[in-house]
Order: sequence, then C-alpha cells, then structure tokens
Amino acid sequence: MQLRPLLLAAFLVLALSAVSADAAQAVWSGLVIAENVPQPAPIPPELTGLEQTLKDLFGYNQFEVIGQSNKTLKTGQEDWLANSKYFGLHVDARGENDSGYSLNLKLYKESDVLLETDANLSKSSPLVIKGPQVGSGQLLLVLVVKDDEQAHRRRHAEPANPITTAWQRLRRAIHNVLP
Amino acid sequence: MKTFEEKWTAWLDGQLSGKELAEFEASLPDLAAAQAEKRDAQKLGAFLKEQLTTQAVSNEEFFSHQLHERIARESEARHRSTSTWWTIPRLVWSGATALALFVITTVVLMSQHQPGEQSEYLTQILQSRVDPAANPNATISIFESKTDNKVTVLWTEGLQSLPADYAAK
Repeated sequence: MQLRPLLLAAFLVLALSAVSADAAQAVWSGLVIAENVPQPAPIPPELTGLEQTLKDLFGYNQFEVIGQSNKTLKTGQEDWLANSKYFGLHVDARGENDSGYSLNLKLYKESDVLLETDANLSKSSPLVIKGPQVGSGQLLLVLVVKDDEQAHRRRHAEPANPITTAWQRLRRAIHNVLP
Repeated sequence: MKTFEEKWTAWLDGQLSGKELAEFEASLPDLAAAQAEKRDAQKLGAFLKEQLTTQAVSNEEFFSHQLHERIARESEARHRSTSTWWTIPRLVWSGATALALFVITTVVLMSQHQPGEQSEYLTQILQSRVDPAANPNATISIFESKTDNKVTVLWTEGLQSLPADYAAK
C-alpha cells in the first residue's frame, strides 16, 4: 500500500522534469555567407558544432553570419525574422510535436520570396538550406534547436533528476541501436 | 577344592579336561541327560551371544539414525532462516525473462518504424518551392549528412546568382 504514493510521486517528478526540459528551447536561425578566402576567420560560435559538416558539404573555408535570430519558443506558435541588409528569413512556427517544431520558412530578397519551405525541425537535427550564389560565395540558411541559455544554466545548477537522466540515457541507447 | 557347582559350570563351558573331566563325568548320575543339558546350555549361550551382538548393532544404527535426523533438522532450520525467494535458478530465469521482454519490446518498436520512413529524429522537409518565374531552372533535393550531427540539407540548384553586395550584413 505504501508503494502507490511512491510511484505517484515518482511519476509526478518525472512529468514535471519532462515538462521543464521541453519548455526551455530556442531556435537559432542564421543567414550565413560561405566563401573561400586566403585567411579564413574563425567560425562563429553558433556554427561550431556544424563546422566540419558545412565544410564537407559546401567546400568553403569561411562561414560568416550576416543575419541571425535566437528565438525562445514558449508556445511553439511564435514567428520571427532573421535579417541581413538584403535578405530576410521569416520563420513561422506552427506548433510543437514529439520530435520538434513545425515551421514555415520564407527567404526574402528584399521584398521578393526566393524560397519557401515547410519543415518539421527536429530538436536533434539541424537544417541547412543552400541558397543562391552571392558573388564568389554561397548563401546558406541554418536552423538549429538549442536549449535556452537560462534554462540550461538553471538545469546545470540544480542536481539532475536521476529518473529523468536514466530515462534519457535509455532513450538515447535505444535510438542508437535502432537504424 | 572346587565345589560341584563350579565343576558343573566348568564342564558346561568345556573347561574341564583330562583326569578332572573323567572324574566329573563319572560322578554324574545320568551322563546322557547331563550331555543333553550341556548341549541346551551351549545352544542358549550361542543364541544369547548372537542376540547381544545384534542388539549392539541395532543400537548403533539407532544412534546413527537419530544423529542423521538431528543433522537434517538443524540444516533445514538453518536453510529456512537464510533462504530467500531469489534462488540462483530463479535469478537466472528472471534475468532471461527480462532480457526476452526487452528484445520483444525492441523488435516491436523497430517494426513500427517503416524502412522508407524518415526518422522522427531527423528534420523533415514537408514541401519546398521556389519562384518559377525568377528561377525557371531551379531544382530542389533533400538529403541527410552522414556526419554525427544528423544535418538535414535542402539543396537548391539553378537559383539566380546575385552580386557580392548582397553578402552585406
């Protein structure tokens, strides 16, 4: 009989942890010019994790962010704009699902829509869009789901929930086993 | 000087010999009856001896039996006091059952994921379009990077090139 309240408490802790973990995410969206230059500048910190992938995919040695936005999503229904002088990336979030966010993306060149895409942006899979050639370089659009900074710091300051941690490890393990 | 009873006992035990044996048997009034009594006494002696030996073995066995019973009782009590449901065979069976359940669950989960279906862990491009008037030869393709960070790439070709001024921040 004492097991029931214990299980209920564990379930509540797990549910609250899961809610707090899901509620604190941001989407970084950037307009990036990729170029080959003799003295490449260091890659911007937002793209550090993608550096090798971008180099392998596009063959450029420098990636410069010309416009960006870091939008924290609370309802999953927000919209925002990442602007450079001539380009604008309008992102319209149309809801959250188990794997990420449903987004409508529009790339503007001044007032013209160059490209429109509907995507389901996964929390574990960045999206890179190859845009038009710009001079000797290439315009790239990059979208990445990141943990919100404040929530990230808060979670690190607090002791980890062992049940949530174990569950996440199990999910990762199963995910790694599955093709 | 031995009494008659002493000589009789010695004769019954076959301990008289020689002249003493002859004199004692000559002194008996009915030698045949005495001989018969001697045989009966010897039979009785042999019987008693046999019975006493049997009794001694029987006691030994009885003692041994009691000892075994006591040892069994004590070991059973000790076993009862330290025994648990988690015996080694049950542990092995429980482990095997848990492993089987894990494998079944994994197989079921894997079977729900269709081979051609894009993983929910990857970003999915639902639809994509470019302005056909401005970019009549544009093509779009989608693929996933082979690197660890699972980047989904929307690759366009044939978009109108722009001057370098457009790279301004």
